Formats: sequence, C-alpha cells, structure tokens
Amino acid sequence: MDYKVEDKGNIKVVHLSGEIDMDVADKARQSILPLIEAGNEVHLNLSKVAYMDSSGISVLIESKKLSEQKKTKFELIEVSKPVEKVLAMARKFL
Amino acid sequence: MSEAAHQNHTEKKAFLVNSSSLKEVRTFCRDVFEKLHIQQDLKDELVLAIAEAAQNIVKHAFKNSADANELMVVQISCENDKLQIAFYDRGTPVDPKKVKHREIDNVKPGGLGTFFIQEIMDAVEFKDGKKPWINHLVLTKQL
Repeated sequence: MDYKVEDKGNIKVVHLSGEIDMDVADKARQSILPLIEAGNEVHLNLSKVAYMDSSGISVLIESKKLSEQKKTKFELIEVSKPVEKVLAMARKFL
Repeated sequence: MSEAAHQNHTEKKAFLVNSSSLKEVRTFCRDVFEKLHIQQDLKDELVLAIAEAAQNIVKHAFKNSADANELMVVQISCENDKLQIAFYDRGTPVDPKKVKHREIDNVKPGGLGTFFIQEIMDAVEFKDGKKPWINHLVLTKQL
C-alpha cells in the first residue's frame, strides 16, 4: 500500500493505493489519524485501492470517530468498485 | 443428472502464520478460483471471506505472536459445484460458541471479519483438528 497527501487549502486529501489489509492497516492509520488529530479536515481518496478488508474498514471507522471528537470533517471522496462492495457489506452491519 | 458448471478440483497450500502471509493467501485463492472459472464478483467475495478467516487465525488463534515457522494450511476443494475451504492451524483451540460478530449497534473498529465470512459463505463449521492440527475450520458455498 502507498499513500500521498495533497494540500487543498484547508483540506488534506489522502490518496491511498494498493491493497489494504491487516498487514498494512497501521501504515494506513498513520497516514490519516495524525492529520485529523492536528485538526485538519481530511478527504480520503480510495479510487486506487484494489482490495480492502475489515482491517481497512476499521481504519475508516477510527478516522470518522476521531474527526467527530476533534470537531472536524472526515469524508470519502472517491471509492473504487472493490472497496464500494466491501463498504456496502459493512453498512449492513454498522 | 445435470452437469456441474465448475470442474472438480482440490488444491492446498501452507502459509506462515503472520500478517505478511495474507497477501499470499489472497493470491493463492485468486489463482485457484481462476482455474475454476468463478466469476469476478463472487471471486472477490470469496477471497475476502478466506482472507478474513486467515486473519482470524493470525490475530485470534495465535494472538499475533506465532512462532516464526508456524504454519497454517488452506485447502480449496470444488466438487459438484460445492466449494469447500478448509483451514488448519495449531493455535489456541477455538470455542465456536465464542465466535460471533459484534452487536449491531456497537460501532467500533474490529470484529467485522466474522460478519463478512458469515455474509459471504453458506456455512461456517468448526471441527476438531486431527493431529498435528488443533483447529479445523470449514467454509462452504454452493456455486
């Protein structure tokens, strides 16, 4: 998994790519949570993520919860088809 | 009697019990499902279910601390369009009564893997592992 962070004014756009599983979930977490912790609005682009499992979904939930605590915003702006399928399944449960 | 849409086939592979192996587990599954000509959407779901089950072995049966050479085995069998995926490991014995997903209103990270497995597969069965194995998990799906 790779990531890059793009500055768009007051918004940090995090682009993740590759496969997000338990093995790289911490790397994904560290690419997002410190930005939210610092009070930034974070938009997450997952258009180049080919695979995501429950560990990846956990990172999204943690990010959302932290943004609520910090009273900022965390949004998904683009999602690949494989990720959308996993999110759809997770939404039945969450 | 109608002919099976998918050829009968069995393949198995051993993997080291660690999170780095999960990518190899997915690659193995994709290769086998390619041979079975399983359509893409179902293939993606099955790969997710298998990877979540393998992740549970790493995370729960071995609590992320398996010995460096510890192995788990994944076996994929297709017979008469019934897909069976077996997992073998030597981790802490699994108590099937304790394997359940979280309550639906408990929104916090973790615990989704078991839900995904149950959503995707037709049946999830824990069996006693025969030596040298301790745990034997079987997932089934009618194709």
